[in-house]
Amino acid sequence: MKKFLKNKKLLTIFVLVILVLSMLSISVRLRNRRQSPFLVQKIGNDTVSIVTRVVNWPINLISNGAANVEDLFNTQAENDHLKKQVDNLAQTKARNSSLEAENTQLKQALKLKKTLTDYTIINGSVISRAADTWSDLLIIDQGSRAGVKKNMPVMAGKGVIGRVVEVNSTTSKVELITTTDKSTNKFAVEADAANGKKVHGVISVVGNNQIAFTQVVDGQKLKKGTRVYTSGMGGLSPKGLLIGTVKKTTRDTFGLSDVVEIQPAGNLNDPSVVSVIKRKVEG
Amino acid sequence: MAELRRWYVAIALFVALILDGVLAYNLQTFIFHRGFSGSCWLTIIGITLISLCDDKNDADIWLCLGLGLIADLYYLGIIGIYTVAFPLICFIIQQSARFLPEVFWFRLLICLVTYLCVSAYVFLMFNMVGIIQLSFASFSRSILPNLLWCLILVLCTYWFWVKLAEEYPFLKKEYYF
Repeated sequence: MKKFLKNKKLLTIFVLVILVLSMLSISVRLRNRRQSPFLVQKIGNDTVSIVTRVVNWPINLISNGAANVEDLFNTQAENDHLKKQVDNLAQTKARNSSLEAENTQLKQALKLKKTLTDYTIINGSVISRAADTWSDLLIIDQGSRAGVKKNMPVMAGKGVIGRVVEVNSTTSKVELITTTDKSTNKFAVEADAANGKKVHGVISVVGNNQIAFTQVVDGQKLKKGTRVYTSGMGGLSPKGLLIGTVKKTTRDTFGLSDVVEIQPAGNLNDPSVVSVIKRKVEG
Repeated sequence: MAELRRWYVAIALFVALILDGVLAYNLQTFIFHRGFSGSCWLTIIGITLISLCDDKNDADIWLCLGLGLIADLYYLGIIGIYTVAFPLICFIIQQSARFLPEVFWFRLLICLVTYLCVSAYVFLMFNMVGIIQLSFASFSRSILPNLLWCLILVLCTYWFWVKLAEEYPFLKKEYYF
């Protein structure tokens, strides 16, 4: 011990390691606890995001051009598919509007103003992504000015892809649903079991970036292909956002509850346009 | 104009930092495969090659510290990952550069080793502070993709970084005045 204390180089390295770890722990805590980052950080992030948009512009131009050419080749098949859909669209629209009107009337009769299923959408684009393999963070071009708040769910494609973890004035950071960060807020979800009852649980990540419906009591009753939605519990997400479909059901390592593997509905591999979901009922 | 030339390295590294995120986003279908994903760090390549070519410039370390801080706050929202990694690799490489041969293949090797070291550091720190909860197997699966991305980035940008560091060293007064 005396030798260690006399060795100045070793001691300095030791102190530096402790300092770095403390700095990291404090900043992680601050990021998780604060509703918005410090003003200096906000200004810095917004400034860097302006440069990002400038750098992104020519790259987007090229990649969008390539995507447009690819789309041209698929036009015929897509057109045939859409023609079939158009026939059903008018009928679905009519039914949808009548159901909407009926829903509003019933809410008025019950004196319900806002329910867990009510939400508004803030559309945005992804402008950047954390370059490392592990952190699963996207940067989108909408921030507090557009009404984005911390912990709002984010959708891309057909389902939820993550949650807002940091909000600046013109940008926000979105943590993907596949993150293994234990301190992040989990999505409370539900699904309809084969016997007609609702099955509740939370979304976690198991194994190799596989999202799963965990803390489920009777997950065996969920058939393959059953849709899993947010339940609106927990005060952060509205009810009814699609998470994915049931892929496989197994038991957890302790054999106490079921782990239902989910095929995500959201576009996790290549999200470019995202929708931030603003719940109307405050938690 | 001479004043601006002193800042070329800083500007290039800052653009590289932005490109890291932009490339990671635009090439995400190739980079982030489930189970076999790599990292896209053009900045690491830039810092490594600049430190190898301009090994007696202390200003580079301060530049790396500033860049690390920006990278941490912009990409991760926490301080202590790139803020430590960037100046540390710059310092270590500058200290060892005088003992290393100045040939392309050796520099490529140094870039590959540095890339893996940063990857290991990021993985370790994320695990220690609880941002990720992944096993060592996940890290080992990222080694090959990381080496591949590093190789591609070095081959594409080697000439640029070497020329930049040799002709426009960061804030070196004797070069410009």
